[in-house]
Order: sequence, then structure tokens, then C-alpha cells
Amino acid sequence: MTDHDHDHDHDRTVKPMVDEITDFEVLEIALRELCIEKGIFTLEDHRHFTEFAEQIGPTPAARLVARAWLNPEFKTLALTDPMAASKEVGVDWFEPTGWGTPSDFMAFQILENTPSLHHVIVCALCSCYPRPILGNSPEWYRTPNYRRRLVRSPRQVLSEFGLYLPDDVEVRVEDSNQKHRFMVMPMQPAGTEGWDEDQLVEIITRDCLIGVALPKAGVTTNVITDTRPAVHP
Amino acid sequence: MSTTEDSASIEPTIIEPLQNIVQRNQVWPVMAAKYGVENPVPPWKTSLDGLCDALDHAACDADIPSFKERRDEEDVLSATVYSSLPYPESQLVSLAHSLVARGVIDGAELERRLATIRARLEA
Repeated sequence: MTDHDHDHDHDRTVKPMVDEITDFEVLEIALRELCIEKGIFTLEDHRHFTEFAEQIGPTPAARLVARAWLNPEFKTLALTDPMAASKEVGVDWFEPTGWGTPSDFMAFQILENTPSLHHVIVCALCSCYPRPILGNSPEWYRTPNYRRRLVRSPRQVLSEFGLYLPDDVEVRVEDSNQKHRFMVMPMQPAGTEGWDEDQLVEIITRDCLIGVALPKAGVTTNVITDTRPAVHP
Repeated sequence: MSTTEDSASIEPTIIEPLQNIVQRNQVWPVMAAKYGVENPVPPWKTSLDGLCDALDHAACDADIPSFKERRDEEDVLSATVYSSLPYPESQLVSLAHSLVARGVIDGAELERRLATIRARLEA
């Protein structure tokens, strides 16, 4: 067979993959197998939670905000009954156990930004995050650096994400905890008038929903930050 | 019951199979660069998430760290013993460290299992 006596498109061939077994891959399997053998959890449990982890992400949260911008009734629902509003965008906070995830409580609140008030969320204690609707937290959100410093110096930390807020905008840091989850509802930015829901979803990034960025027409990606290790965690 | 001391006292334990893993340094940024892979996180990450949730779900029933203890210990270990590892490798190895240091998994048992699994995957 010569190189080109087949008819597939070379651009569509399989992307490169890591062709060696890493110690970390082996370690993850080892921990899982040993826990299952010791009866700590079942294979079924693990599969159930892993499937949950596979499907969560920030898109439902972005859709919720976009819909709220376009529909005042839905916005009222989002602010007064966020669980019901979450269901409208396909997120049931009772999943995957019937009582939510083991570590994410179902007391959920959406914090509305106004021209004079900006919210940003943190978990000073660990890394509590509205996972069911926003997916896994980014690495920097988990670091003691962000967690400790945001509470003490919010404007400085926000500036490290490139977000400079005028002095007449109050910054309110909402500390998530083992009983409450929060998410920010930013204001619809100028230049997006007449956009439909799908267009708006594109610019409502995860960072905007955490509160370390503001949505902007044309910006559809999160800020990349270098997380500094904590010296005294 | 969890205390800060529980987490602080976990650090000095040296767990040899985990130290060996750190030294071999097959971390995802190195692997991804070596093979030209673009995925931002290693393929085992969601399975680790499932593992953490399954442990949290079981925490009340077994002698394993609670969510809070697990995260506190991860913070301490990621900044000290495993500070050379990136995330999520630091999360995985810290979890392994917590489970061994707490006696949930025996260190020798883990070492044997790592060898068995590697042999299986490379067969």
C-alpha cells in the first residue's frame, strides 16, 4: 500500500496522543481500585460521579444570564428562584445523588451586578464553587493565593485579571461556603444591543460569572493568569 | 473530627512510591509538549473528580478524610511536599498521600498495586 492509495482526508486523521503510560494515570487507577476493593465506594458510584464530572461546564450558566438579559421575567426568576431558573437551562441541582453533589450544597444565589455594585465570588475556606451550573473551578480559584488575597485586597486581585473598576463602584466579595454557592450576573455590555441569546452566551465567559472579568463584545475567552504558589498556605 | 492539626501533621510523612512518582515527573505539561497534545488537562482528570466525589459521598461511612480535610491537606501538601507538581497532579498525589497517611491505604499495598497496574497497561 502506498502512502496515498486511500481516500481519507489527512487533515481529519487522529490528533496526536500521549503514547506512554504515566505514573499519574497508574496512580489514579490504583487509588480507585483499592477504594472499591475496600468497599469505600462502588464502581457504579465512581462511574456515576465521573459521568457527572464529564458533563458539567460553564455553558448553562452563560445561557441563564443571557436569557435573563433578554427576558425580564426570567431575570426575576433567576434572582428569586435560581434553582428553578437553573432547571430552565438544563441544570438540576438535585443531580447526581438526589441531594446534589456530595460537596456542593443546593443553597444557590445569583448576585446581580449594577452600575454601582460589582460582585466577585471566592471560597476562602477551600474551593466551594457552583459546579453543577459552572463546571469545575479553574486552578487559580483553588489556590490559597486567590482565596486569601481576594478577601483582603479585592481591587488589587481583580486588577491582576485586568479588571480595573472605578472607585465609585462598590466591590462586594461573596464568600462561598459549605452551605452556599454563588454566581455573578454581570450587566449586559454596550455594543450588544439586538444580539440574540446564542450570541450573548459566547461573551459570558466563566470569568465573568465568577466576577473577575466583565463581558465585552468580541471577547469570548477567559483571562489566562499565572497563579503564584502560596508561601504560607 | 477535623482540626488544623490533623492537616498539619500529615506533611512530614514521606511516602516512597509517591516520591518516586514526583521524581519521574511525567506531568501533563511535559507529556503534552513531548507528544504535541493540546488537551489542557490530563485524561485521568474527570476520573479523579469522580473519585473525589465518591470519597466525599462515602466520607460519613468510612474512616476517610471529609471534603474539608481532603482540601486542607491538599493545600498543605501541594505547597510543601509536592510543590514541584503542577495541578491537577498535585491534587492526585496529595489525595494519595492523605489516604496512605491516614491508613486508609497501606503504602506497601499501594506500591504493589502501582506495579500490577503498570504491568497490566503495558501488556
